[in-house]
Amino acid sequence: MPAIWIIAVILVIATVGYFLARGRALASAGSDPRKMHSLPVYYGTNAAIAAAGPALLVLLAWLIAQPLLINNSLTQYLPADIIGDAGETSLAMADVNRIAGGLDLVVAQGAMTVEAAKNLSVETTDVRAELAAVGVALGADVDAATLALAQRYRGATAFGNILKAVAVIGLSVLGAGAAYAMTNKDFRARRYVESAVKMLLITAASVAVLTTVGIVLSLVFNTIEFFRAFPASDFFFGTRWEPSFSGRGGNSDLGFLPLIWGTLFISIIALIVAVPVGLFAAIYLSEYASPRVRSFAKPMVELLAGVPTIVYGLFALLTVGPLLLSAFGANGSFHLGWMSGGTAAMTAGLVMGFMLIPFVSSLSDDIINSVPQSMRDGSLGLGATHSETVRQVILPAALPGIVGAILLAASRAIGETMIVVMGAGAAASLSMNPFDAMTTVTAKIVSQLTGDGEFNSPETLVAFALGMTLFVITLALNIVALYIVRKYREQYE
Amino acid sequence: MTLETADITPPATPSGKGKSLLTQDARTKKRNAAEIRFKAYGIAALAFSILFLAMLLFAIVRNGVPAFTQTFVTIEVELPADVLDKNGNRDIDDIKKVSTFGYNPLIQDALVAATADIETEVADGDLKKMLSSSAGATVRNAVIANPDLIGQTVEFELLASSRVDGYMKGRVVREDLARDRNLDAAHLDIVDALSQTGGVTRKFNWDFILGADASESRPEQAGMGVAMLGSVFMMLVVLLLSLPIGVAASIYLEEFAPQNWITDLIEVNISNLAAVPSIVFGILGLAVFIQFAHLPQSAPLVGGLTLTLMTLPTIVISTRASLKAVPPSIRSAALGVGASEMQTVFHHVLPLAMPGILTGTIIGLAQALGETAPLLLIGMVGYIASNYPDGIASGFLDPNSAMPAQIFEWAKRADPAYYERAWGGIIILLVFLMTMNIIAIILRRRFERRW
Amino acid sequence: MLDDKYHADRAVGTMQDSKITAKNVQVFYGDTHAIKDVNVEIADKTVTAFIGPSGCGKSTFLRCLNRMNDTIDICRVEGDILIDDEDIYDPRVDPVQLRAKVGMVFQKPNPFPKSIYDNVAYGPKIHGLAKTKADLDEIVESSLRKAALWNEAKDRLHQPGTGMSGGQQQRLCIARAIATAPEILLMDEPCSALDPIATAQVEELIDELRQSFSVVIVTHSMQQAARVSQKTAFFHLGNLVEFDDTDKIFTNPQDPRTESYISGRIG
Repeated sequence: MPAIWIIAVILVIATVGYFLARGRALASAGSDPRKMHSLPVYYGTNAAIAAAGPALLVLLAWLIAQPLLINNSLTQYLPADIIGDAGETSLAMADVNRIAGGLDLVVAQGAMTVEAAKNLSVETTDVRAELAAVGVALGADVDAATLALAQRYRGATAFGNILKAVAVIGLSVLGAGAAYAMTNKDFRARRYVESAVKMLLITAASVAVLTTVGIVLSLVFNTIEFFRAFPASDFFFGTRWEPSFSGRGGNSDLGFLPLIWGTLFISIIALIVAVPVGLFAAIYLSEYASPRVRSFAKPMVELLAGVPTIVYGLFALLTVGPLLLSAFGANGSFHLGWMSGGTAAMTAGLVMGFMLIPFVSSLSDDIINSVPQSMRDGSLGLGATHSETVRQVILPAALPGIVGAILLAASRAIGETMIVVMGAGAAASLSMNPFDAMTTVTAKIVSQLTGDGEFNSPETLVAFALGMTLFVITLALNIVALYIVRKYREQYE
Repeated sequence: MTLETADITPPATPSGKGKSLLTQDARTKKRNAAEIRFKAYGIAALAFSILFLAMLLFAIVRNGVPAFTQTFVTIEVELPADVLDKNGNRDIDDIKKVSTFGYNPLIQDALVAATADIETEVADGDLKKMLSSSAGATVRNAVIANPDLIGQTVEFELLASSRVDGYMKGRVVREDLARDRNLDAAHLDIVDALSQTGGVTRKFNWDFILGADASESRPEQAGMGVAMLGSVFMMLVVLLLSLPIGVAASIYLEEFAPQNWITDLIEVNISNLAAVPSIVFGILGLAVFIQFAHLPQSAPLVGGLTLTLMTLPTIVISTRASLKAVPPSIRSAALGVGASEMQTVFHHVLPLAMPGILTGTIIGLAQALGETAPLLLIGMVGYIASNYPDGIASGFLDPNSAMPAQIFEWAKRADPAYYERAWGGIIILLVFLMTMNIIAIILRRRFERRW
Repeated sequence: MLDDKYHADRAVGTMQDSKITAKNVQVFYGDTHAIKDVNVEIADKTVTAFIGPSGCGKSTFLRCLNRMNDTIDICRVEGDILIDDEDIYDPRVDPVQLRAKVGMVFQKPNPFPKSIYDNVAYGPKIHGLAKTKADLDEIVESSLRKAALWNEAKDRLHQPGTGMSGGQQQRLCIARAIATAPEILLMDEPCSALDPIATAQVEELIDELRQSFSVVIVTHSMQQAARVSQKTAFFHLGNLVEFDDTDKIFTNPQDPRTESYISGRIG
């Protein structure tokens, strides 16, 4: 019985439960809702939740767990030489799963009887061709051992499915029955319904935590895997980044230093552009601009914040890069020869700086505005000019908040991907020249993880180690920044 | 005035005493100059930002608008029955047996005929370089759709090659073609002559907006349509998941959560997640949905799930702000007439906060729509989005691209004709984003309440 | 110049010399006519109190006297306000210089988030009143002494001013205003955020300040006006209803509106 039918049955049971429980509650109160503890609808809903909630949860868990359990138990039957290698094992099991799924499909489409599929043999049938006919493409012909495993898989799955249907539907009936039995006019149905809803709300709130856990786990496991294949000291202190994909490991230099160097170099260029411009723009907007100018200029600046980073990336690649090259390149207008290609740390840094202007300015704007007006009055009342007030009273008062904003901007710059992928170049270098091509942690995560999704060579796994360092750095910056900003806000609330 | 007060000397230094206010002293002048300088820095910073915005928009419009028109060559193609339908019974299966290679000589003949009056050194066999290599397929599809055309001479508007298109748009000049194998300068003379007579025209290019992506060598044919559908399916996933989960999480945190370390943890978590680089969400999506759960690569479903996780914190933060903005008096009023806490929230607070929640959701969606980095990791780049999904399920599960990923893909391709496509793609993307933001602004204006 | 005037007034034997003269002053907030045709002469070395129900324009008028209203875009002032016979709304007048001469203390104590010392030194620094550090130290000390805060503050000069009690903060703000050596001190309900003990201390201080400055104080408390001021102006709905010696206003008001207010019938 497919999952969708089980769900349908559960919903029917829930609906029936709803009306029965509602009826019973009304009957116990002599059809007078005023004598009941809760509104009639709550008695019904309570029964429906009891019928559907636990059953659906079990169903979900079952759907996730069953294939994993069956795969695990079948892995031991694979040939011994395959079991040792994690990559080979997962490939072999993927084949088994695919054949099993394909055979089910063949039967479902009526190309083969259930019996025929069960007694299939590689000698008499071209299994690959049969499966291809229903749209399941296999990489190689099917050997007897794999087919046997696939058949075992089908058997176990079929048995599991029957068990699943019985267990889940049974649970649903049980739940509905229990709720029905409890129902009478004094039963506090609303409390039960509300606590069920509350459980749902808590689950939703914990998605955020689960996301973080997911990020940490996926990074940690793959990073550990990476450090098994590649020495940690070579990663953290290596000064060369030269992955080789042909050698399948061994010959690659996966040094982290050139990447973090490029990341910091580009981020610093970006901050040098964004912080003064953003800060002064914020000061002007919040302290000087007339309401008319403000109502026009502020959305303009914020418009920049809504532009997707792919747009900035393209702008860096196709506009700013060539422009810089025509100024600072060998054939440029100044004949400086500093720049040999349009993609460079400067290109990416400048454009990233532009991207961060609205970020810095709107955060600073908020922070400057939250400095109480009485501070301004106090300073102006003493005969200070507006700029003296800003520089000597408002900025010092807002300093913690502004530092927080700059840290957040730095974290943004370090984690920015598209602009550096498109604008900074691909060569990892420890150069001091801002017009050289450089690459960053994020750019290398992208280049190591795009393409084939095999997760067993150090060249691929290094991306997770890079992701881990990126996550740790940005997380640290964010936590510090958010803490500072929070403390700052509390000061004036 | 009494003697007693007269004796008191003024406090501090008496330097300012009795000075006229009507003349500025030197120090005040200096301070006012500093004031003007400071203000000028502010104006300069603001002008710089706006100038940059203008430059960005200029670059987008200038480079992107040409992508919306395309050059077509109009020729009369003879469709002889003896080539296209050897048996003469108009059997559709027989007609289908003639491949596009069978049509190419017909097109070549038509081109020769069309350029008969033009003196050129271009060999007859090279004339077809003026056309997109898709020309044969275009004619074939027309014949298959309408077999009655066989035996007639039919006028076709065929896509010009990207070089010819570039020449018509001023992107390609004769000097560029010196080392180009795809087109010669002599071809351009023919194009010039044909455009005089109306044989070569530029028309609005719906296929760019609605069409599918094409292979690397046919930029003139590439369109955004399939990637657009990919984005739409992704946004559906994001909307259907992030709105209910985000609202439920916010309601819990804002209205029910007890003040304890678990709540604190969740809150700190959410504000940190909002600042985690998007690429990290890509890694998460890759590891959890593809590596662990074995969902199909490049599928909008996976993209949507990944973007949902990325968007959730944004939606939670804005939803909590709108819930917070509902004054406590509304809650007290509802509780006062005997509603339970849950009823108060769902019947009174939530409806009032809804416009704010929707605004925040739309802005979160807009952010997700423009996001590229996570999509790179789950395989939505590098895939040539050339097939429309055949249904709802296929839309969610079959490999597809998305608008920003498609733009990135085009920007990576070697042919500069694709750069024009990339800029044009950005215009389409920005139109989507602007529409969403305008809807958000209208919602906010319309339902804005002041308590 | 001051001395000449002093002698002249003395020779004539009329009132004390007039420090501030307002003629036909009108103030508009956008379309709202907030101050209607106010004429008043405020004497030097006295405490003048502005009283009246809230929203009557007394604070608005006070803020006209050092052009603090300039910071509000929609505010417009008409008529003449003369300080030492110079029109402070003359285009040649720089509000920065004006405000150095006319100090202000606000309703809520608003020390800057700096040390006590830096709070007091802020004004002298920006106006360049101290040539050396020693000068500055001296100004800070004398200002704190005048604000009756020296004994409490001398051991914690470099701790933040925001860490003091409300009354201390307000006296710090007064010290800060005194430090720029103004001739006039404007006080906008300086005690409204303070407890009775702190209020008493500040009131005592105001009485002492009278010896050095012309003090104008806005207060919503009639008792306070009676305690600290020599002259009282009663504002009602933007009009200056009555202006006279404090004793006279409280014992024998001329205008029925003043009498109603004093006796608590409007407020």
